[in-house]
Amino acid sequence: MPTEFRTQMELTGILIVLIVAAIVLAAAFFVRPSITAGATGKVLAFVGLCILPALCIRMGLDTHMERSEKAKFCISCHSMENYGKSLWVDDPSYIPAQHFQNHRVPADTACYSCHADYTIYGPLHDKLRGLTRIYVQYLGTPPQTIQIPGGYKNQQCLRCHLGARGFMENPIHMALMDSLKSNEMSCISSGCHDMIHNPTEVGHLKMWSPGQ
Amino acid sequence: MKTALSEGTILRVASALIVVGLVIEIISLAWIHPLAFALFAFVGVLLIGLGILIYLASLVFVASPPSENGR
Repeated sequence: MPTEFRTQMELTGILIVLIVAAIVLAAAFFVRPSITAGATGKVLAFVGLCILPALCIRMGLDTHMERSEKAKFCISCHSMENYGKSLWVDDPSYIPAQHFQNHRVPADTACYSCHADYTIYGPLHDKLRGLTRIYVQYLGTPPQTIQIPGGYKNQQCLRCHLGARGFMENPIHMALMDSLKSNEMSCISSGCHDMIHNPTEVGHLKMWSPGQ
Repeated sequence: MKTALSEGTILRVASALIVVGLVIEIISLAWIHPLAFALFAFVGVLLIGLGILIYLASLVFVASPPSENGR
């Protein structure tokens, strides 16, 4: 079992134990509020009705933020299904599939690796934008093709590729470096690496399976 | 006596909100889905936070109830 996965499971286990302890304490104060009359009761009440619940909120937020980085989370919405399937396309010209299948990005956080905003308030910004997508998914009409507001930024690619030997030794990359860094020329829509998710075609393409 | 009774009621309300919020948090942890995140962030955190605030307000504004032996 991978260490990271085990640590996450342990943290979720600790969180559940804390939540149960907080529920038991809060329920005791619900049944007998007079417990708080004594000094011990006051301390217990402070722990049970303030410290533990606050800790549960904090740990719960951390756990949910971590879970929201999982590919499983991203493709759990119906409109994202084909984007998830496109990671399994058996065609190396498909950039997301090539990255996912060759573990150029961590497989379990594949979506997040290429779509997260890595700036200081990026995760918060991503979450807020994600909430509007939940609204569209359940209370609005999701579009056939999902567009990223402001387009896909080259910085998402350069974050890993900039400085990598294979990238830097390519004369085309070097010649276009300024345009790539300034986002003047897009990596994925300038005729170079333009085969991305292509969700409308995914149903007709051959898929790769790890055992084949 | 009236303030003591009302503190008991306030504690009950705070406890109930916290218990319900925490139960919602456990439910939200059971599955990995954007709705689980929304449930936790908008309902769970709101109820638990409200419970904590009510409890803290009771410490500041309301007198303690008498203990069971009347002291």
